[in-house]
Amino acid sequence: MTLSRRTIVAGGAALALSGRGLPARAEGASVVVGTWGGDYGALLQQNIDQPLLKPQGIEVSQDVANNDPRRTKLIAERASRRGSMDVACINDIDSYILGQLGVLEPVQESAVPRLSEVLPIFRKPGTIPHIYSAMVVLYNPAKVTTPPTRYADLFDSKYKGRVGYSDILYSYNLAGANLAAGGPMGDFAKGKTALLDLKQRDVKVYPSNEALAAALKSEEVWLTTMWLARGFMWKSAGIPVEAAIPEEGAIPILFEAGIPKNSRAKDAAFKYLSAMLDPAAQVAFAAKMGYLPTVRDARLPPDLARQISLTEAQAARLNPLDYAYMQAQQGANLDFWNKEFKA
Amino acid sequence: MAAFVLPAVLVVAALLVGPMLLLARISLNRYSATDLMVEALSPQNYLAAVADPYYRGVMGTTLAVALLCTGLTLALGFPAAYRLARMESRWKSLVTVMTLIPLLVGNVVRAAGWMGLIGNDGLINAGLQATGLVSGPVRLIYTPGAVVVGTMAVVLPYMILTLASVIESIPRSLEEAAANLGAPALTVFRRVVWPLALPGTVAGCVLVFILCMNTYATAVLLGGPQFKMMAPAVYDQFSKGMNWPFGAALAFILLGATLALTVLGTALLGRRYAR
Repeated sequence: MTLSRRTIVAGGAALALSGRGLPARAEGASVVVGTWGGDYGALLQQNIDQPLLKPQGIEVSQDVANNDPRRTKLIAERASRRGSMDVACINDIDSYILGQLGVLEPVQESAVPRLSEVLPIFRKPGTIPHIYSAMVVLYNPAKVTTPPTRYADLFDSKYKGRVGYSDILYSYNLAGANLAAGGPMGDFAKGKTALLDLKQRDVKVYPSNEALAAALKSEEVWLTTMWLARGFMWKSAGIPVEAAIPEEGAIPILFEAGIPKNSRAKDAAFKYLSAMLDPAAQVAFAAKMGYLPTVRDARLPPDLARQISLTEAQAARLNPLDYAYMQAQQGANLDFWNKEFKA
Repeated sequence: MAAFVLPAVLVVAALLVGPMLLLARISLNRYSATDLMVEALSPQNYLAAVADPYYRGVMGTTLAVALLCTGLTLALGFPAAYRLARMESRWKSLVTVMTLIPLLVGNVVRAAGWMGLIGNDGLINAGLQATGLVSGPVRLIYTPGAVVVGTMAVVLPYMILTLASVIESIPRSLEEAAANLGAPALTVFRRVVWPLALPGTVAGCVLVFILCMNTYATAVLLGGPQFKMMAPAVYDQFSKGMNWPFGAALAFILLGATLALTVLGTALLGRRYAR
């Protein structure tokens, strides 16, 4: 059989009219999840995509990136009729910013039935809370013989040259330094001064959490501020760290997920959000990554709970970020971190 | 003839000129923490970038790295290119392909390889510590030197292949004639090969300089968080600071500086060649 140009054009037109010419995504049958890679992405696949979404006939593909590029992409696409993500995993600061910019679809219990089990303090209008932890002081118990009890202990001059920070957590590091210096959550001036003092004492800044972990492992640095969950993971991996919950009140970190308003598969995306709140899936995240469940009916094994949870008193003292302040100061805080602290 | 060129022109216009015009327009807008971008027609972002000592320092670092890498790449690449161009062995094709092999690996993967080599617990430090030469890791990564070496490894094949194609076009008989007239090897190089290869040298240097000015992955991964070049600074403004207008202005300042130095360098070397 030979194909003439006329045949090809006619065939193409027929395919276009039939709507089957291209592998278009069937509405509700597939979702693209913008997520971190590594353990987080793998755990999503193992505990949510395969066991919970696949039986519903929903295929999941991941758009893997770090938090900042994902937020930038969501902002860049916000005026587009069709976005590239159906579910976006984001941290709590970005959740607030994206909510303010009107990027996210409201999330209601009628669409996400599992919201009924979410701990009330974590309920937000545009996202579901997936997992959470708190920023603590991680230290090397062989080198720091008096266990720290406060964020402020990082600023003790006896640890000169032995304090390290992860560059990507600059907003949270700044907030921790501010609490250490006695500053309020709505004004980081004291924290900035404290960090500039620390800079004089040869503080180290590493490009990623992984690079910081390597420095803790090689004992190049002995102390840092980091998620309790990361401390759990690193300790499990043989890195010599213990966690101290700061008496100033730890800063909580919440990892959330929302649906961009221009998602092409909102029904399936809402099902995905509900699945993220599945108790067994949340327990799996806790067991592997050390992050705490956000739903009431997730039961952690007692030994695991002891390692990754806060006591009631510690939880009561949590110091949540002032998101409006964080949004207003995003540029100024980055400038301080890059131009004054790191430079 | 125009019909042949038109598709390429349209592709460039759609994928390069269009977005750049959009970026130029964004650079004149004003940043707002709550709305991200407010429409304006102001040179404020450019003025702020030029007036800020931090960004002047970042541009200085970028220029220093780019010029150093270009010079070193030329010094290392010329002998290799000459050898490749004059090779008559049946292995010449294989050697040419081997020169290209580094380009088959992406910059990020290559930088990751360097991290495994020069990191604090990398191969070199493990070797040094195993032999007892040092007691602790020697700081190799997160240094300007690491960025220069890593960048050179990226751009060296471009320089070698550009130079080799030009040197190949210089008849060997010219070198032989000069040698027959008693010119020592160095004089043959200086008076015959170098002047005739200069157009290719300029082209290679321009290509490498532009690539070095826009180094991103190598600067981030091998330079560490305290080492800043312009491309990562642009990215930071877009991605971390959400200040698109300022990021766009930085991008055009980088583009302008690269273009100006490229034109200047080409003109100066071209004039020298014309003499």
